[in-house]
This record gives sequence, structure tokens and C-alpha cells, in this order.
Amino acid sequence: MKQRSILYRITIRCLFILFIGFLITGCSKGRGKEIIIGSHLPLSGPGGLVGLEQKWAYDQAVKDINDAGGIYVKEYDAKVPVRLIAIDDESDSGKAAAAVERLIKKDGVELILSGSNGAMGVLPGMITAEKYKVYYHGTLIWLETFLEHKFKNCSLYNFDMGQVIPMCFEVWNSLPKDQRPKRPAIFVEDSFDGKMMGDALTMFAKKFKYNVVLHQSMGLGAKDFTTQVIKAKSANADGIICLANTPETVTLVRQLKENDVSFKVFQGFKGTWPTEFYKSLGKDADYILCDGFWSEDYPFKGAKEIGQRFFDKYEKHSTSVGLYYALCQILFQAIEKAGSTDPVKVRQAITDNEFNTVNGKVKYDGRGVALYTSGNFQWMNGKQQNIYPFNLAKYKIKAAPPWKKR
Amino acid sequence: MLRLNQMKVHTKYIAGLIVVIFFVLCPLFLNSERSYFIYFLYTTFIYITIAQGWNLIAGYTGQVSLGQHAFFGLGAYITAITWRAGLTGYFDPLAFLLSGTGALLLAAIVGVVLLSKLRDDYFSLGTLGIGEILRVAALNGGSFTEGAAGISLNSTAYKSMNHYYYTALFIMLFTLVVIVLLIRSRVGLALIAIREDETAASANGIPVLRYKILAFSIGAFVTGLCGSLNAYYIFHVHPPGVLSLNWVVIPVLMCILGGAGTFMGPILGAFVLSIAFELTSIWMPEIHPIFSGAFIVLVTLFMPSGIMYYITNHKSMIMRRLRLTVFKWMNQKA
Repeated sequence: MKQRSILYRITIRCLFILFIGFLITGCSKGRGKEIIIGSHLPLSGPGGLVGLEQKWAYDQAVKDINDAGGIYVKEYDAKVPVRLIAIDDESDSGKAAAAVERLIKKDGVELILSGSNGAMGVLPGMITAEKYKVYYHGTLIWLETFLEHKFKNCSLYNFDMGQVIPMCFEVWNSLPKDQRPKRPAIFVEDSFDGKMMGDALTMFAKKFKYNVVLHQSMGLGAKDFTTQVIKAKSANADGIICLANTPETVTLVRQLKENDVSFKVFQGFKGTWPTEFYKSLGKDADYILCDGFWSEDYPFKGAKEIGQRFFDKYEKHSTSVGLYYALCQILFQAIEKAGSTDPVKVRQAITDNEFNTVNGKVKYDGRGVALYTSGNFQWMNGKQQNIYPFNLAKYKIKAAPPWKKR
Repeated sequence: MLRLNQMKVHTKYIAGLIVVIFFVLCPLFLNSERSYFIYFLYTTFIYITIAQGWNLIAGYTGQVSLGQHAFFGLGAYITAITWRAGLTGYFDPLAFLLSGTGALLLAAIVGVVLLSKLRDDYFSLGTLGIGEILRVAALNGGSFTEGAAGISLNSTAYKSMNHYYYTALFIMLFTLVVIVLLIRSRVGLALIAIREDETAASANGIPVLRYKILAFSIGAFVTGLCGSLNAYYIFHVHPPGVLSLNWVVIPVLMCILGGAGTFMGPILGAFVLSIAFELTSIWMPEIHPIFSGAFIVLVTLFMPSGIMYYITNHKSMIMRRLRLTVFKWMNQKA
């Protein structure tokens, strides 16, 4: 009984400490001494794999600029170091909005680096930043969605759907005629991205004279796609375009193999990016394509180095860290050009200037939009070989042999 | 001279009134556009409301529902659809009313089926299914719900955080008043009787099903109101956002932590858990889910009936000291 009473007291004291801690945890704004940049990232939840790469890239960019003495800000007539505050938004739209509220109101942040996950992260983040007139330096959200909200304090550095979708079919068309798929199936996840991508793919397939024989949705977090696989088999599909998270895509590929359903081309989006995808499937992942934002093989200054640094740390390659690193480079250069950390001036500097990044030269238009060319890669022996854009790619796509002949 | 037992009642009301006045005055002293404390209170008010809604059906009536996210999501969707169609506008009371009523009707319809046929765990699983049905319906709703893409609302309509804060405060106070009135009435007695022994309650002439549906529907109504407010706040209503299980799991945790079946439990639980989540994500951003989880485990281990039961058990000691101080002070003044 006495022991129980002590435990009660300990718990009560913990509760009291929590309350006091909440009261004393204050604002950490230090204007002039450092530039505080906030970010909300999916460090846990379904988007966790993407978020960790993003955070690594942001940390590297901040470390590099601080190693160089910081950003020269004319307003302070000094080089000012950068501090990044990254909050986990748990891949949830409500928590993304809450994270941005906290960055602005608790940490006093006036410049926010993009989150991830489109409608689940970036959109609520942008809407919240817009409410308080804080600059949101965004990426990874559909251009149409960005323009629909008429944001005045946000910008977007993103791929163009009008380029990404035709890219699939352009890559297919680069195969010899007899190896090209003729009857593709489209598998997209039940999400905002899935809906947008599925509709656009169907539209462009017709334009490129591909006859889509099946359009299936994949439940988020689903563990079984046998129905979809059997439907693809009976529809005699010979190519597939799939947008889903990594666990779902891995399950799909396994079930395709189990059911002996082979495709000449498997074009993956999102779920086929991470090295974990290859690690889960081994050689079965060979020939599968993945889109990517960037390649360390690009001939831009710093691209190879950032790719190598990522490989040294994690022993894997990435098709996205360069994009996030470039995003930071743009923001840092914009602060320097604006001569201030004022969000309005920084946003103006973004639209007025051109920036050199590890993803090439970047120029925003008057709407605050800059589009880059998305890449396409093919998994082969554990490496993502760059097959698109054709002018930068050193590797040529190969059609996948049937499972039994591998 | 005031008597001690009169003081007991008065202290409660006066303390409650002071807290409400404090909440009402907060935005006057803090810049709601820049104060995180205001936002923190706003979200906590929403959680308290949902937790109280759940408390009514689960805590007082003993029917553990896991479908509150369905009512929350439905409320959000009704607001979004009616606003997009031009039937309602930004922060339109009609939209709130429609959202609450929509959730209430859904609860009543579903309640007739589930509450009459299912009990205990089966009822819980049945209610969990409502959210899933609604999610699939929203995903396949075509242009009506915009499917997985969801409904984007006009975010330029945003004016001030004060609107959100006061609306959340009003909804919470409204919920608390309704709960107090219900619990102190014959209905409240009937609900508790059902929780304690459904057969005995029925044998004593209590229309069990009717009261269960009533509690379920009232809980759904207030949750629908919160969904509506969330739609206005987030400006983008889509299935993974508004039909997320977070909208049921977190309020339920808050209620259990504070003490289910008590009036103050969900309020206390909501504040404690919100503060715990906030602090762990600030102090240990990389591993905060682990700490938050461990915190919940610790509290449920050492306070299985919730914080309120601990306070009630030690109330005599805490309150005696407090009341005596106030009593002496007031008598001196008199």
C-alpha cells in the first residue's frame, strides 16, 4: 500500500513537472544572431522514409552554409548562421497544420522550408503559413492545387505533371517496337496524389496511343492486392504504372511474381524510390522503373558530392536528396539577395532572381512557381540507373523478361 | 457567516466561472495571430468536446463507441459540400447546425441497428466500421466528395484566429452545459443505470435502447460540430485527414486518462495529454511517440481509473486545506 502511494506521488509529480515545463518552454527567437528556419517533416507515419531523407538533406545544407560562416545579410551587415527547427508532422494533415502553427507562434519562425506528402503535408502547411503571412518555400505539391489557393506568401519548386506523365510514355517509346507494352494497367493508391495521377495517366495514355485495359485503386496500407493482380492477368495487361507507398508496392510485386503475372515495363512512382524497396525485393526489383526528382549523375556543381555524402552515411543512393538540398540553396541565396530575412522581401527575391543549385539553374515566375524536369530510373543490380531526361541519361531502358526467364 | 457546505458548492461554481472568464479574456491580452497558447487552447477545446461526446456514450452509458471519427468526418464533409455548393458560407451557423444534425441523424440511424443488436466489444467493432464505410463512401463519392482528392475550400476567406478560438470555446461550453444538465436529470440517472446493469435498468422500466440512442446521438452532434469547425480551419477536407482514426483514439485516451464517466475527467485528460504531446515533441522530437506512449502506459498503470479518481480519493485532503484557506479569508472580509 505504501509502495503504491509512492508511485501515485511520483506520477502526480510527473504531471506537475509537465505543467510547469509547458509554462516555461518559451519562444526561441533570436533575431539578428541567427536565422531560424522551420520545417515540418513526415519523420514518422507512412511518409517516414521520404521525410528522413528530406531532413538529412536540409541538415546538410544548413551545415554547409554554417561551415561557410553563414548567410550574408545586408540588414545586419554580417554573416548570420542558420538554425533549422524540424518538427515531425507524422504524415498527417492535421498535425502538419499544427506543426506550422507551432513553428510560427512558438519558435517565431518567419521562413518555412517545405514539408512533404502533398495534400497530407505541404498543402495544410502552406494554408497555415498563408494565414499568418509567413513565407513557405514549398515543393512536392501539384501545381494545380498550389494555384487554386492563390497563395501570396508561398512559392513552389516542383516537377510538372505535364512533363512527368508524358515522360512514362516517352520512355516506353524509346524501347524497340516489339518490346513496348501495348495494354498497360494503371494502379494508383486511394489518395489525393493517386486520384490526380490516375486521371492524368489515363488521359495521356490515349494521347500516346496506349490502350489502358485496367484502372485500379490500391487501399492505403492494404496488405493484399490479389484481386487487382488477377484482374490484370485476365485483362492481359502487359505493362503497369503504379503509384503507391513502398510497403504496398513491395506487396504488389511479390503477388505479381506469385501469380506469375509479368509486365514488359513496371513504371513505379513514389514507392519504388527508396533503397528499402530494392532491399525488400532483391533481384525481383530489377527492371522496375522509378521516377525521381534528381540524380547524383547530373552534371551540376555539387550533385556528385551530395550523392556521395548520402551514400557514405547510409550506403544507399537517393533520387530525392538533391531536390531538398537545392531547395535550401535557393532559400539561402534568396535571403542573401534580399539582404533581409523579412518574408515579403525574401519571397520577392525568389521571383526576381535566378539560382544555382545541385539540380541546375532555377528561375521562378511571377506566380512563385519554378518547374524542374523530373527524372526516370531503372533498378538494376541494386542501383537506380538514370534513363531520363534522355540528354542527361547514360543508361538505356531494358524491357523486363517474364518471371520464369529471370 | 457562510457555512462550510455552502462554500463547497460556491467554490466549484466560482472556480468554473473564473476559468471561463480567463478563457474568454485570453485573446484580449494575447495576440491570437501570434500566440501559440491560443492555438493550444483551441485544439484542446476541440478535443475536450469530442472526449465529452464519447464520455456520454462510453463513460456514462457504458457503450464503448469507436466511431467518433465518422461523425467528425461527416461534419467536416457537410460543411465543405454545402459551402462549395453556395448553400452556406464561411463560418456560417447554418453549416454548423447542418453538420451537427447530419452526424446526429447518422448516429440515430446506425444506433438503432447497432445498439439494439450488439453489445460490448461487438458494438465497438460495429462503430469502428461506420468510419470505414464513410471513408470508402467519400473515396468513391465522385464529384460529390471529390474522391481521394478531397474538397478544397477557399482559404483566402480566413480572417482571424479569434473566430476559431471563440467558436471552439462556445462549442465546448455548450457541450459541457448539455452534459451537466443531462447527468443531473433523470436521463443521466437512467444512463448510469444502463451502464451499471442493463437488465436491471430495463426491468425497472427504463427504455434502454431509446436512452442509448439519445446518448450516442448527442455525442455525435457535438463531434459533428467539431468536424465542421475543423473544415473551416484546414480548408481542405479529404478522407485521410478528417476520417483519420486520430479523431477517435486521442479523445478516447484523454477521457480514459482523465477518468471516464466523470465530468471533469475528459477536461483534465485533454489538458494533460495535450501538454504531454506538446512537450515531448519539443524536448525529444526524434522519439516523441515512444515517450508519449510510455507516458500513457505509466498513467494507466498507476492510475487505472484516471486522474479524476485519484483526485477524488485524495480530494478531502486537498480540498480541506484549500477551502479552509478561502473560508478564513472570506470570513475575515465579512
